[in-house]
Order: sequence, then C-alpha cells, then structure tokens
Amino acid sequence: MSVLKRLSKSKYFNTVLWIVILIIVWEIGATVVAATKRSPENILPHLSGIIESVVSKDTINGSQTAVQMVLENAKATISRALVGFGIGTALGFVLALFMSRFKTVEKIAFPYLMIIQMIPILGMAPLIFAITQDISKSRIIIAAILTFYPVATNTLAGFKAVEKEKHELMISYAASKFQLYTKTMIPSCIPYFFTGLKISAPMAITASILVDTLQGGIGLGCLLSQALKGAMSRYVFWQIVFLSAFIGIFSFLLMGIIEYVLCPYKRKGNKQEE
Amino acid sequence: MSEKALKRKKIDFNSVSSVLYPVLFGILIFILWECGVLNTVLKTDTNILPAPTRIAGIMSENSSKISENLSATMTVIIWGLIAGSFLGYMAAVFATRFPNFGKGALTVLSVFNAIPIVALAPVFNNWTKDVSSEASVRSTVAKILVVTVVCAASMSINAYRGLTELKPFSLDLMKSYAADNMTVFKKLRFHNSIPYIFTALKVSVPSSVITALVSEYFAEYRMGIGRQIRDNISIAQYSAGWAYIAVACLIGILMYIILIIFEGIFTKRHRK
Amino acid sequence: MPLSVFLLKLKGMMKMADMQNSNVEIMLKDIGMVYKTNDGRDVTALTGVSLDIQKGEFISLLGPSGCGKTTLLRIIADLLQPTSGEISIAGESPRDARLSKKYGIVFQSPVLYDWRTVKKNIMLPLEIMHIPKAEREDRAMKMLDIVGLTEFANHYPNQLSGGMQQRVGIARALAIQPQILLMDEPFSALDEFTKEKLHEDLLRIWAKTNKTIIFVTHNIQEAVFLSSRICVLSPHPGRLSAVIDVDLPRPRTMDIKDTPEFTAYVAKVRNSFEGI
Repeated sequence: MSVLKRLSKSKYFNTVLWIVILIIVWEIGATVVAATKRSPENILPHLSGIIESVVSKDTINGSQTAVQMVLENAKATISRALVGFGIGTALGFVLALFMSRFKTVEKIAFPYLMIIQMIPILGMAPLIFAITQDISKSRIIIAAILTFYPVATNTLAGFKAVEKEKHELMISYAASKFQLYTKTMIPSCIPYFFTGLKISAPMAITASILVDTLQGGIGLGCLLSQALKGAMSRYVFWQIVFLSAFIGIFSFLLMGIIEYVLCPYKRKGNKQEE
Repeated sequence: MSEKALKRKKIDFNSVSSVLYPVLFGILIFILWECGVLNTVLKTDTNILPAPTRIAGIMSENSSKISENLSATMTVIIWGLIAGSFLGYMAAVFATRFPNFGKGALTVLSVFNAIPIVALAPVFNNWTKDVSSEASVRSTVAKILVVTVVCAASMSINAYRGLTELKPFSLDLMKSYAADNMTVFKKLRFHNSIPYIFTALKVSVPSSVITALVSEYFAEYRMGIGRQIRDNISIAQYSAGWAYIAVACLIGILMYIILIIFEGIFTKRHRK
Repeated sequence: MPLSVFLLKLKGMMKMADMQNSNVEIMLKDIGMVYKTNDGRDVTALTGVSLDIQKGEFISLLGPSGCGKTTLLRIIADLLQPTSGEISIAGESPRDARLSKKYGIVFQSPVLYDWRTVKKNIMLPLEIMHIPKAEREDRAMKMLDIVGLTEFANHYPNQLSGGMQQRVGIARALAIQPQILLMDEPFSALDEFTKEKLHEDLLRIWAKTNKTIIFVTHNIQEAVFLSSRICVLSPHPGRLSAVIDVDLPRPRTMDIKDTPEFTAYVAKVRNSFEGI
C-alpha cells in the first residue's frame, strides 16, 4: 500500500492516470464502433491496430513501409517549420529590442502587433501561396509570422518587467545603453522569451503542415490530404494524426528542455540560512 | 513657457503620439497599397493583390453570399467558444475540488493546445459522420467540436489558476468563517477567476477564429469563410478570395474588440 | 552668457574649490523638490534642506514615510534632479560624482541578478567599468571576505536568505571602491535577528573602510545605534527638522541598547519630529 501511496503523490502519477483513462475510453469506443460500423478504422480504430501498422514491415507504395513513409514526410515538414521558426524568432526578438529601446518604434508597432494577433493568419495561407507562387517560401513566411508575434510580445513583456531598481543601479554605474541591454535587459527577458517560444513552436509546426495541404509533394500535410482521399490504408491516416500531435507536443517540451539547459540558475532552489 | 505648462504639454504629447504614429503609419501603408506601390514591391499584379477600394467594392457586390458564409463560420465560432469555455471552466472547477485527482486532467487537456489543428480537424470530421444525414449539419458539428477542444484547453489552465491562485490567507479567512466548499467557490474563487477567464478568452477568441477557418478546409460541406478563401484562390478568383480574407480579418478584429469591451465592463466591477 | 549667470557660476566654482580643501564631503544648500501628481497638484517632497556631511561620518536620514528621505538620497545619487538648491559631492556636481563612481548604492531589496552567481553579481559594476579580469576577481573575493560570504561565491541568489542577499548587495556596492556609500533602508525587509547581525557587520565594515555612509531609515533605534549624526526629517512638506549628534562611544555592540544614554537619545530623536 505504501508504494502505491508514494506513487500517487508523485507529480506524474496524475497525468499518467488520466492518460490511462483516456486510453481505456478510446478502446471502449473503438470496440463499440467496430461492432456497429462498416469501416471502423475510419472513425475510431483500436490502438492495437494503429500500433500494429506502425511496426508492420509491409510496404505501402512498393518501397517503404507505412512508418518509413510517414517519418520521411515528417522530417520534411519539421525542417521547413524550423526555418520559418528561426526567422520568426530572430525578427520577433529584434523587434522587441527596438520597441524597448525606442519609444517611437513601440508606439507605431504595438497596435499592429495586436492586429496580427487578431487576424487569422493561418486562414490567409492560400493567399500567401498565391502571392509568392512558391510553396516553400509561403511555408516559411507563415511560420515566421506565427512565431514572430508571441516571441515579440512576450520578449517585450520581459523587457518591461525589469524592476526600476535594476535600471537605477545601472545609472549609478554610469553604464552605457549597450551595457544596460547586454548585462541587464537581455538576460532578464530570457524566461519570457522562452514562454513565447513555447507558444510559437507548435504553431510553426501547424503552419508547416497546413501549407503542405495546399499543394502536393513531400510533407505531413500532403500525406494527410492523400490519406483523406483514401489513397492509402486508414491506419496511415491515424499514424499521421498521432505523429503530428506528438511533434506539436514535443516541440513545446523541447523549448522547455532548452530553457532548462540554458538557465542553470532556475534549477537550484534550496535556500541557505544565515 | 512656464514649467507647469511645459510639463502638461509633455504628458499630452505622449498619449497623442501613441495614437498618432501608428495611425499615420497605417495611412501610409494604405496609400502605398492603393497606388500599386506595394504591388511593385511584392512583384504581384493587381489581379492577385487588388487595391483596397476594389476589395471593398467586391464585398458589397457579393454581400448576400458573404453573409451566408459568414453566418456559417460565426455559428461554429460562437458555439465552439461557449462550449469550450464552459467545458474548460468545469474541468478547472473539477481540478480545484479534487486537486489530487484532477490536475492530471488539466495537463492532458492543456496538451491539446500544442496539437496542430490540422491533426484534430480530420479526426473530428470522421467522428461525426453519423451525427446527421445532412452534410452541412455533420460538418458544422465537427467544426464546433474542434473549436470546443481548443477553447477548453486554453480556458482550463487559466481558470484553474484563477480558482486557485488566491491572495494569501483569504482561504484561511473563509475557513475561519466555517464556510463550506460551495460558499468558498461562490464568494471567493469564482470572483477571483474572472480576470483569468478574460486572459483565457484573449487567447481563445483569436484562436477559435483561426481554428474555425482551418477546420473548414477539411470539412465535407463547402461552407464558411475559410473554405471560400481557399476555394476561390485555388481557382484564381483572387478578388473574391480577398473579399473573404477581409471579412475574416474583420471577424477577428471585431470579436477581439468586443471581448476587450466586455472585459472592461466585467473586471471594473470586480476590481477593488 | 549673461553676466549674472557667469558670476553665479564663478561663485559656485570657488565654493567647490573651497570644499576640496575642507573636510566636507557632501554639501547640500537649500535643496527643494517639487513634483506634479497625476491630477496636476504640486507636491513638495522636500524644502529648504541644507546640510554639510563630513568625510568618513555615518549619518542617518530618519523619518516616517513621506518625509522625503529617500528623495533626498536619490538627489545625492543623481537619480533625481532637485527643483531648487545647490549640491556638490566631493567638489563635483552629482552627475560628475556618479560618472566618476564616487558612490555605491544599496537598495531596500538586494536587486541581485538571478542569472549570475554571487561572485559574478559583485563583479557586475567592475565589468561595466572595464576593469581587467584578474583585478575583478581579486576585488570580488576581497569583498566577499569583508561581508563574510566567501563559501557562497558560486551560489545563485535564490539559494541565499534575504540577509545574505543584502550582504551581497553591500559587497557589490563596496566593490567599486567608492568614497561614499548610499543605503536606502537596506535592512527594513529583514527580521530583527538578521537585522542586528547586519548592523554589527555594517559597523565593522565602516570601521575598516572609513567610507562616508548615508543611511536612510524609519527606525529610530537603528539610526541611534549606527550613526554619528542623525538628520530628522518631518513630512508635509518634507524638511529637516533637527540634526542630532550621537555621542555614544565606539565600537558599539548590542549591549549599548540597554544603557540609559541610548534610551535618552532615542527619546530625544523621537521628540524632535514635527507634525506627526
């Protein structure tokens, strides 16, 4: 009993419990569906079926197994999302820097940043494709815009959160503006910067997949469109769905891991006494 | 000029310029767009990137078709927002009432924030295949479900924080009054959570607009602003596409403004 | 430049030259500070403050909230500009004094950088002053030694208690080897026991380094225990209502708090407040 009790106190027990509950509900649903529907794999396949298709060695299109094909497409999607993500992050950070340093820039840019948040950029994906006529460029542009906003606003919040006394300390040292930024403002905003990254990483992935659906080629989105049209086994569809979800979640966690590595001061917590 | 008058002038300049600069900048862009300078810069023709006045013209021409699609999209957005926010809030209440049990539920829900919409939309589409014999109803339900999930994810985390991050000792005060859980909820937790509800909505309102538009791409029934954007552009009817894009932007902006207004009304009452 | 202004400048320069020969470190003449609130009213934070602060003395600015003591300290630190009056620090204007690093400042909260270790926090001003690495390290270790935190050199601030963090703040202020130490209620956020220990530490540091210390506080006992002179400030409007010499023998330890002389000084200071 004590082992179980200790386990139940752990942070992860809760989450694991609910995942287990989810799996059970899923399986029950799958059984119900299998009994009543013609093609149950469309709607709610047994998880075992999905796992089976993942490990199966049967080739789908003559040269690759299902898993290999999905992974290859996933690689393409991720690498392109990465480029857009990188550009958006850099631009967002630089803009936040300029907005912090120059009040005029902040006044001009702030309402437009708000507008970017309000309008559905993702919904404009077809348009950007039409303008650029280049699927790779549109992917990068959209991922960059979607990344840019959370990074810029959160980083700016980070700059603004530096308390007055830190500024006064810098003034008392007669520090230059450059020193103020490099020694104080930029290191201060790192936690906020990562909050922005955590929001925008999954969005960059989403953007990449979505743009894929606009045109054929390689990429999870393209594979998804094909799967939806019934061009391949239903289980491939589910593999794609789960993999996309997994990539989105993983990109979020990855940002957290990078932050953990880069910020050793956040880990240590035990306070000394006098 | 006396020192007092100088100081007063300085304050006014600050707030005036905060409004003036962006408006001037916006007017500049508008002029550049209208005159075709933007077209030259982006190397597009007026077909693909029509002037704003032309877009406005097309919008008024096709107003009936636009409003039909608009109501379809808005139905999805509004119902999804209501259902998702309610669900998310309930999940947060559940997690507050049963902290040991419920926190995991929240973590699982919040994960949906990170799942690409493009993965969720087709799944829900399939799930609702038998909801009704009419394609339009099926698709609408599917889209609403996707928006619901996304809103619930955002609301649950924020509402949980609002219900549990109370000022120090306020819970102790309630305990000293021997208040039961329901009273604590009604008198303390609920009020505390209201600003957090709006924080969640500030994220989920724009998010549900996007989600609704994107899920229309995957829907069976070709109705909705998002679908129209995509279909029109893919058959090179750029001006119609732009009209729908303009509508989409307006939806986003207006809903957000409405949200801000509501926030002002409701949080003023609860602000001490 | 009109003649009157020229003559005034000349007079100021002569006075400054005069100061450099005397023992006066900081000279305040008729300092006034008036600022506008949001609804346009005028608030007089300080009026007519005149004071000469001697080299190497420990002087307290004591008063309740709203008496302008922090404002006065900030004026000396060149973080605020007075609306009237003259001030010179070691013969220079506050701005020049700040630029030539004549003072170090300690705030009420330690204001340490979470992402730097204790040692690196102390080295921060030295980096800004472009002091070479070897000397930076050397000075930081010396400062850590003075405040008694050598074993914690590589800890992060969030691993230290409030009192220890404040000691790091003091070490950092001392690292630039200033002539003057400005302290704005540095111990008010700490508990009594930690406070008493830090009082003794501060007096020890002062005796060893001979700096001029200007100490802002609202605690009468603290002011009497630490200072050689107390400037009592009263609010509405903020003004200097009394300057009291504290002639208690040094070195001072906790026991002095039980003596009748100490109690008499506390009473004297308390009675010199006006308008409370």
